[in-house]
Amino acid sequence: MIAWWAFIIGGSLVAAGLLIWVLFFDQDAGGYDRLSPSKRAKKAKESKVVEAKNERANVKMAFDKQAEEDVEHIFNDTFREELRNRGRLHFEKIIGENAMFLQQDLRLTTSQLNDFMKQEITTKLKEEFEKYEQSIVDAKEVAIEAIEKTKQAVEDNRAVLLEQLKAEFAEEKVREIKRFDENMTEVINHYLVAAIGDQIDLSDQLEYILTNLEANKKAIVQDLINGA
Amino acid sequence: MARKKLELPLTVIGPADVGRLMLEMERLDEALRAAALRSGGEVKMPKTSRPLDDVAEINKLDLLTKDDRQQLKEFLVSVRDHAPVIHISFASEPSAAFTLKIVEWMRSNIARYLLVQVGLQPSIAAGCVVRTTNKVFDMSLRRYLDSSSGLLLEALRKQRPQNEARVNGGDVK
Repeated sequence: MIAWWAFIIGGSLVAAGLLIWVLFFDQDAGGYDRLSPSKRAKKAKESKVVEAKNERANVKMAFDKQAEEDVEHIFNDTFREELRNRGRLHFEKIIGENAMFLQQDLRLTTSQLNDFMKQEITTKLKEEFEKYEQSIVDAKEVAIEAIEKTKQAVEDNRAVLLEQLKAEFAEEKVREIKRFDENMTEVINHYLVAAIGDQIDLSDQLEYILTNLEANKKAIVQDLINGA
Repeated sequence: MARKKLELPLTVIGPADVGRLMLEMERLDEALRAAALRSGGEVKMPKTSRPLDDVAEINKLDLLTKDDRQQLKEFLVSVRDHAPVIHISFASEPSAAFTLKIVEWMRSNIARYLLVQVGLQPSIAAGCVVRTTNKVFDMSLRRYLDSSSGLLLEALRKQRPQNEARVNGGDVK
């Protein structure tokens, strides 16, 4: 693309240079080719000598001179200005066309670039999405596998725990029964004491109390003696 | 003249009664001294409590006489300082007659000047708990049941196979 642009610009510059050379240097070249009036007079004087010999040549030279004067008359400043304007317009036209071509090419390139970018981005995104989906699938498989393992472990632990609980329940049952056996009399005594506590009249207990005091009389006396 | 040995009436039961008697004796002394100063001669006996009357009666003391009052005061101080004390608890509040019987038995069988503190301990159900200086004599129904728990347990164990058979047989829902 850059080479193409350089070629277009270089070509335009060469064309402009040629045009300028034609317009200016060609005029000067015409001047070189023309003879000054003094030289012509001298030459005519000299040619008078050989006029006879060169009459035909002089005629031809006059004809050439007339032709040159006509040329000088045709390519005057107005005509040159017109040619210059034409060249400028032509150059502007070429520049405009090239710019248009360049713009079209730029648009085309931009469009192609957009398409290319879209395609590339789409491809990349598609690849990334595929990788992402694959990652999700892999992660899902790993998670499912982990869940399965955990589930299996929980099931195993549940079974073990169930067995342990059964054994502990059985042991606890035996222990509670044993404890109940051991404390049963205490429970019954407590119940009896609570049940009959307020029902026995103290007067009815006098004989029982005196009997017990009689039974412990010696110990009481002994303790009073020792304590005193 | 040798002083006679005084007795404690049954209405004077514990250390608190002795303390009240001592306080009453002090007041009586003050009252009689004041009355003597006011009248200048014969004084009238003020009204006294029943325990003090009982003490004076069973010991044949004339509380208008200063010597008798002094003797009684010394006796009360001696009882307060040296008489043995027993604490006895019952399941319910004992009546006065019941307490008198208990005190009478103790003073005739254990010590002549024994002082008794009566307490309340509903958890013993029946019987009493006697606490002396160093020992506790648990004569309650609760202790009796506890000591007989072996017999009760044995009886229950004998009864258990029959109960289990009844349960397993579906007699008991």
